[in-house]
Amino acid sequence: MAEGRGERLFFETLRRALGRPPQATRPAEDLFPQEPSAQDLRLLAAVSGRSEREREELVARLFAAAAPLHLQVEAVAGFASAREIVLRLVAEKTPEWGGEKQLVAWRHPLIEGLGLTEPLARQGIPLWITHPLDPGLAPEAAAEERRRQRSRIAASFIGVTTADFCLAETATVVLRSRPGEPRSVALLPSIHIALVRRGQILADMKELFALLRWEERFRGEGLSPYLSFISGPSKTADIEATMVHGAHGPREMYLLILPDETPDAPHGRPAQTPSSPEAGAA
Amino acid sequence: MSGVRTERYVEEARRGIADPVLRRALSGLQERFGRGTAEAYRRLPEGPGLRQTAHAIREKAIANLDLLLERLAARIRGNGGEVFFAATAAEAVSYGAEVARRRGVKLAVKGKSMVTEEIGLNPVLAAQGVEVVETDLGEYIIQLAGETPSHIIAPAIHKTRNEVAELFVQKLGIPHTTDPPRLTHAARRALREKFLAADLGISGVNLACAETGHISTVSNEGNIRMATTLPRVHIAFMGMERVVARLDEYEILLRLLCRGASVQDIGTYVSFIGGPRRPEETDGPEEFHLVVVDNGRSRMLADPRFREMLSCIRCAACLNVCPVYGRIGGHAYGFAYSGPVGAVVTPLLTGVRRGRDLCLGETLCGACKDACSMDIDLPRMLLELRALLAAGDASWGVEPTGGLEGRAWKLWAGLVSHPGLYEGLLRAAALLQRLLPHGGAGWIRRLPPPFSGWTQSRDFPPVARETFRARWAKRRQEAGRG
Repeated sequence: MAEGRGERLFFETLRRALGRPPQATRPAEDLFPQEPSAQDLRLLAAVSGRSEREREELVARLFAAAAPLHLQVEAVAGFASAREIVLRLVAEKTPEWGGEKQLVAWRHPLIEGLGLTEPLARQGIPLWITHPLDPGLAPEAAAEERRRQRSRIAASFIGVTTADFCLAETATVVLRSRPGEPRSVALLPSIHIALVRRGQILADMKELFALLRWEERFRGEGLSPYLSFISGPSKTADIEATMVHGAHGPREMYLLILPDETPDAPHGRPAQTPSSPEAGAA
Repeated sequence: MSGVRTERYVEEARRGIADPVLRRALSGLQERFGRGTAEAYRRLPEGPGLRQTAHAIREKAIANLDLLLERLAARIRGNGGEVFFAATAAEAVSYGAEVARRRGVKLAVKGKSMVTEEIGLNPVLAAQGVEVVETDLGEYIIQLAGETPSHIIAPAIHKTRNEVAELFVQKLGIPHTTDPPRLTHAARRALREKFLAADLGISGVNLACAETGHISTVSNEGNIRMATTLPRVHIAFMGMERVVARLDEYEILLRLLCRGASVQDIGTYVSFIGGPRRPEETDGPEEFHLVVVDNGRSRMLADPRFREMLSCIRCAACLNVCPVYGRIGGHAYGFAYSGPVGAVVTPLLTGVRRGRDLCLGETLCGACKDACSMDIDLPRMLLELRALLAAGDASWGVEPTGGLEGRAWKLWAGLVSHPGLYEGLLRAAALLQRLLPHGGAGWIRRLPPPFSGWTQSRDFPPVARETFRARWAKRRQEAGRG
């Protein structure tokens, strides 16, 4: 369907309207620079040379920006206190759509570090761990696996994800899409918990975009096919301009900031079996 | 294009003015957002001058639109997405309808999109048996009520909580409540089922970035993220002008968009979509289509008077300050776009002659330019449209207005160059005006035709008993005596 006659005519009309020869295309290099600008370099230097005091200031800014958005931020000392917070939420909150309490989480070292599996298993609460699809699966089997994972995500009242970055200025968590890290985990459950390391906090979108465009470590993946900015729980003011949280996405959102070094990380515990119900509810 | 009702502007405006509920809702909205946006611009770290920077970014993007769209399309195709360039509304709609037919779509969930209102997508999909559900809460309310949006960002601003309550009792079968959180939750429950069952997600595009090859959408509710994540097919519709070259430029525009639209530093959900999901991914659509819509935009592009209008990113900040919009409401503008942006863009998209009242109805007070997140000179274009309507313009299908106005000015010029005749007429008018109905302070209530239009809603100052020249001569005489 692509690049047919209709498309040629579309571009001819467009170029004529721009006062250009309808068939000619031009070089576009000046529009898409191949090298970082002076401003980009300044931003990259600011990120890489950030002092401990500046990082503390960023955390303070993040707290200040999060409060009016109803985004609950906790800076925790280590995995143990992060686990406590998650377990407290599991105990206190009730599933919005009824049914049993269930959790869903990305398969990610930071989330494994929480060690949720055992305490949840003791309470008989299922913890679903998402996983990438085997590209060798036949289409029907892949469709079936997708359906299975989606129904578990939809049935969970809490979804736990990490984030690629966090922006202090706007209290935004930034998620790139990756196999095994379904974006609906941050969307369908009523409560979204995101985990980040302190070092993942940037000042603002300017820094983020400078990194995604020019920093070797991040450039390859770039924005990924689906980049999400999430700044607090879902909300609406469409009925008489009254603010209500929980329009379609999560009603509550928690951001847990872990220090860059966590000595209490559990070791020897292998990654959860992909999406197997036994993972949590043994 | 379906549903153009611009000819009914005067009638609909009168209805809007007579509606006290609408007036109250709009003045509340303008009070909050109008002031808040101005304050948000002032608080920008770069200062309010960032709007001028944004204007320059938009001008550059528009001047290179062909290159940006080529790059955007190449990137999206490289990621496995489909891009369709539609010259007309009909082409855009039939492409979308064809995708829906091919994929056997029964249920489509839709994020708020003005361009799909513009091209009239919903009725065509409905006609082929697709249930199309609007999922923005405001849009959902007016869809249930069988109405059209009255504001770009707050489409159901004209509905009271009581009206919403009755609507939900009737359509969703919930117990009666006027509590906004409970009403919102009822819609949340009903729409969640739709999201999980839908085969097709439809969205607009707030801005696209050519460099990376992503479209982006902004919402507070999360409905667009749902619609672009859960169904197996996603079609995004984009006015062809909604693209910028680079991410650093995008960053500036996004910040201004959120401030202009709803006085926010950033919308709750901003999503950048560059293609369908990859084979190993669990969610996301397996097909992604981007439909780039011209539908009259290239005509605006070709006309230097109106090219600037393509810089608009539909934040709706101009609606929130416009004294005319604030009184007549969005329905009077008779099309998807209302307020000052509608007064310029609707006639240009749907016919200048048909939509002439829209630009004549605005006051030219200039508030829209000050509020515009992209610093667009809307008043200039309103004047251009008026000039075009008076002088005629074949390229926009407008004939000159009979030359009556020109002849009147010529007559006036003749009169003022003959002082004797002019004064004689003034004296005659001073005498004759006594026959007309008068109000307070001697002001004339009604003028006879052809001037009666002027006094329809205001009084006319009476001609002074004494001419200025006579009075001047008398005063000099008196001063001389003193």
